[in-house]
Order: sequence, then C-alpha cells, then structure tokens
Amino acid sequence: MKLLFISVFLLSISSVQAASIYAGKSKAAVVCSQCHGVRTTSAEAPFPPLAGRDKEYLKMALRQYRDKTRLSEIMNNIAGSLTDKDINNIANYYSRQK
Amino acid sequence: MKKIIKVNQTLMAGVASLFLLAGTVQAKSDMHQLYEDNCASCHGSDHGGYIAPAINSETLKGRSPTALRSLIMTGSFETLMPPFYGRLKDADIRAMVKYLQSTPKQNNPPWTIKDMKKSLKIYVKDESTLPSKPIYQIDSMDDLIGVAARGKYGRGNGSKAIFINSKTHKIVGEIDTGTAAHIIDFDPANSRWAYVKTDTAEIYKVDLFSMKAVRSIKTGYNGPALGVSRDGKYLMAGSFVPHNAVILNSDLEPLKLIELEGVDPDGKMVSSDSGMIIGTPFADIFAIALENAGQVWVVDLKDGFPITKIKNVGRHLHDAFLTHKGRKLMVASYDDSIVIAIDLKTRKIIKKLKAGCVPHVGGGAAVKVNGRTLGFGTNFGTCNNNTVVSVWDLDKMEVVKQIPVSGGTESPAAHANAPYVAVDIITKDRRARTIQLIDKKSLKVVKTLDVGGHAYFPEYSADGKFLYVSAGYAGDEVVVFDSFSLKKVASIQMESPAGIFSRGRVKYMTRGLSPDEME
Repeated sequence: MKLLFISVFLLSISSVQAASIYAGKSKAAVVCSQCHGVRTTSAEAPFPPLAGRDKEYLKMALRQYRDKTRLSEIMNNIAGSLTDKDINNIANYYSRQK
Repeated sequence: MKKIIKVNQTLMAGVASLFLLAGTVQAKSDMHQLYEDNCASCHGSDHGGYIAPAINSETLKGRSPTALRSLIMTGSFETLMPPFYGRLKDADIRAMVKYLQSTPKQNNPPWTIKDMKKSLKIYVKDESTLPSKPIYQIDSMDDLIGVAARGKYGRGNGSKAIFINSKTHKIVGEIDTGTAAHIIDFDPANSRWAYVKTDTAEIYKVDLFSMKAVRSIKTGYNGPALGVSRDGKYLMAGSFVPHNAVILNSDLEPLKLIELEGVDPDGKMVSSDSGMIIGTPFADIFAIALENAGQVWVVDLKDGFPITKIKNVGRHLHDAFLTHKGRKLMVASYDDSIVIAIDLKTRKIIKKLKAGCVPHVGGGAAVKVNGRTLGFGTNFGTCNNNTVVSVWDLDKMEVVKQIPVSGGTESPAAHANAPYVAVDIITKDRRARTIQLIDKKSLKVVKTLDVGGHAYFPEYSADGKFLYVSAGYAGDEVVVFDSFSLKKVASIQMESPAGIFSRGRVKYMTRGLSPDEME
C-alpha cells in the first residue's frame, strides 16, 4: 500500500513536471552538448554520447553526479547546478534523440 | 636611427631569451609540441591569434590560472573552443596554462620553398587511372556543394571536406583533411578538380570524380587564403604564419615564394598576414590583400610573376569579391570600416565606400535589380549596436543603403534565381542561431530563420532552389531550406560544419550574378 502510494505520488510529480523537450533542448545546448554532442559526439571526443540513452538511467546518473554519490571532478561541477526539473527535461530530451 | 635602435632591442631581447631558455629547453620544446598539436591550428603557431584569440604572456597577463585551466577543460560555449578534459592530462593542462602565460608572441617561424617541397605528398601516382566521369549520380558538377567540416577539435577524424549533391542533399564524397578544412576552391576550367585548404595551411588537390585526394602540400603554419587562376593552371596560397604567399602549379609544385611586407597607410614598414587571394575570369592574374600593410598586390601569371603594388588601400584589409566580369574588386578594410573598389585593369583604386562596423564581406554577393548591380557587404562588428548590411551600387560606386539587421554578420548569400539575400547573424547570444533574409527589391529584412546551432555561411545551390546553412558549434549539421518557402527540407550530419562552397560559383563568379552569362 505504501509502495503504491509512493508510486502514485511519483507519477503525479512527473506529470506536473511534464518534462518539456524544449526546455531540455535549450538546457542541453548550454550544459551538455559542448562535450556530449546532440546526436553524436566528436569522432575525437573521449565523452560518451547521450542521444537515445535510457531516460531513467540518464536521470539517475545526473542526480548521482549532482549529489556527489558518483564521483567525477568535471561532472560533479557541471551537474551541480541542475534542478530536478532540469534533469528531467534533459533526460527526456536526450532519450528521444536518435 | 630609430630603426637601428629597434633592431638592437629585438636582438637583445632575443639573446636574453636564449639565455633564459637554455635551462628549460627540453620542457619548453615539449610544451611547444603540445601547443602545436592541440592549440596552434586556431590560436596561431606564433601564439599571435588566428581564427581564435592570441594566447601569450601579454594577452593572458593577470588572468587567473585556475580560470584558464577550467576554460581549457570545459571549452568555451558559443565558440569553437572544444573541451580538452579527458583529451589532455590534467598535468598537461596545468603546464599549458603556465607555458602560455610565460610565452611571448613568437617571431615568424620560417617555412621555405624547400620545406614546402619536402611536404608534398602524392596519393595517386598515375592520374590517368582516375575515372573519366563521376562515379556517383549527379546531373551537373555545378550541383556539388563542398562543406568545410572543421571537426570539434579542429583536427583528427572529424576534420573533412564533405561534398554534397545539392539536388538530392546526399553526401557523395568525403575527404579527410587531418586538420580543420577552411576553404574549398574549384578549378574553373576543369570540373574534375577542387582544392581544399586547412587552417594549418595544407592544400589538398581533390579529384571530384572519384572523390579522392590525389596530392597535398603544406604551404605554411596557418592561413586560409587560396586562389585558383581562371585557366586552372596556377594556385596561390597565403599564410598568417609565416608572412608569405606562394604560387604553385596545378600539381602543387611551388614556383615562387613572395614575402609579404610593405609600408602601411600610416607610413610604417610592416610584415603582413595574407588576406584574401583571388583569381578572376577577367585576366591571368591573382590579387592578394596584405592585411597589415593595407596594400593589394596584383600578380601577373607570366615569366617571373611580376607584381603591381596598390598602396594605401585601407587599414587592415581582409576579404573581397569581384564584379563587372571580374574587372572590379571590392576589398573590405576592418579598421576604417570601408570597402575599397579597385580596378584590376588600371590597377588603381576607384573609390572608397562606407561600410558598416568592421566589414567582413565573406564571399560577397552582387545582384542585378532594375538595371542596377547591387553589392551586399556583411559587417562583423557591433559598434553601438549599429549593425547593418551595406548595399552599394557597383556601377556608380556609391552607397545605396545600410540595411539594419539584428547583429553582426559574416557572410552573405545570393542567387540570381532566389528572392532573398541571406546573411548570418553571429552576435554571440541566441541571435547566433539565426540567419536573416533581405528582400532584393525592398532591401529590407523580411524574415528571420532559426537554424539551431551556430548558424553561419549561407550558400545557395547552383540552381538557386535551395539555401544551405551551417549549424555549427554544438549543432553539428548542415540545414537545407527551400529558397522560396523557406521550409526546412533536409539536415546533413557532420562535425562542426563551417564554410559552404557551391561549384556554381565558378559560373557566376560572385554569388547572385547570372549563372548564364558572366556579369
């Protein structure tokens, strides 16, 4: 019962936050795409591409980087400024790119 | 007397720095190599700046090393500066900051005819083995559009010249260029050949039928300037580093090296970057702009390659375009915000015309409207937010209008069959995503297109039906619009696309003039 309650609660959050692809696109353009590209990364880049990746995975990874439960000098800094809403938008945007 | 003192000072400084360097030669030369391999293609081999700012002890004085280190790690948004995190070791990034902040702008490193000859590489020994017609479907070779794909890091596997069939919007060939491709020039006499020049001054001769590079040569350290003669027999290439230009034959064999120096309009003898180099359908000549000396030189393509020097053209010349069957040359001068009309027959200045703030005409554009030949000039700068595109009557050589646009502009595109002159807004905010379209008749901006990415270097297909625009930086695509409806019709993926060059240009000389008869 508790679990159900939590998941309903989560669902309502995500629909309230109705992750905007446009907001995600503009955030990704200024925060992520410099290194990770939009559809692909540079042939020379050491960074993983984000396009088409699983949305939930992207959200989890970004939260971990932000909260410093996953350590990376550069990602902890860059994700540090993102709100939950930003993270949802970005994950939603990148997961839809092909 | 003054000159002697100056030489002595330079000598002393040189001797002093030799002593200072002696202790750390090894480390310094390692750092120099690291700089050459990662930074020099944009910031200049002499640390003096090129398409990116100068980075040396003078320009970086007082800058926080921590801030510089993060800038190198993350790159700089809305510019071509890529993130070096993960590509360079942190220790190297820190050492680079130290090295840059302690290294003055270097003297011109030598690059002689001997060095050039040694750098000549031949990829196809027997050119008779090349196919006699294109190995891909294309109605006319004029339909080819070449895009300089810089590659995110200005070098490596992303750096290519990419050729597209502008009727189908499909890629028909890719030439790896090692470092960022900058200029693509087509042989006007033989549709088989194109020449690609990189930011590190290599020239690739490309067989467009098989889409293969047949040979290459390194003509300097940095500099995009390249021209092809009207008969396709000669090339001329100019460098920012070092300050020289070279005439080559179509086998890329260097024939004559020309040192670029002269007295500038303020009476000072200066050594000069090479500005634009242009061949013209008007005569067997090249014209070259000496950026800092403010002179335009006309080189005759005959024995000894004699040079006519046109002096006092302007302060800091850069690029130019041709009009009147290639007899008149319109040269942009950055520092005094003028465009100078030169008659290539008399080799004299016709008139100096007012432009906007820091004129950068790109390839220029000229269109015939109601019997008048109108030239369009873009302007880089944003003085007092007074951003305009300049329009001149090229018959009477007078200013017609300074059309207000939303920001600084870099390159205009026009076509005889297309209704609009397209200009790229480059001001570094959201406006950089847009191009603006000027109606040829009303001379007003009638539409703003959001291209996404950093939109620049618009170019029409040879038939005028499509408008190609690079969406660079993080955009990584070339976007194609219908010239009339302005609807997006295609997107072509590539890494950091910049300059776009239609082979149609050899027919109309300057974009916007008739493709059917030379105007």
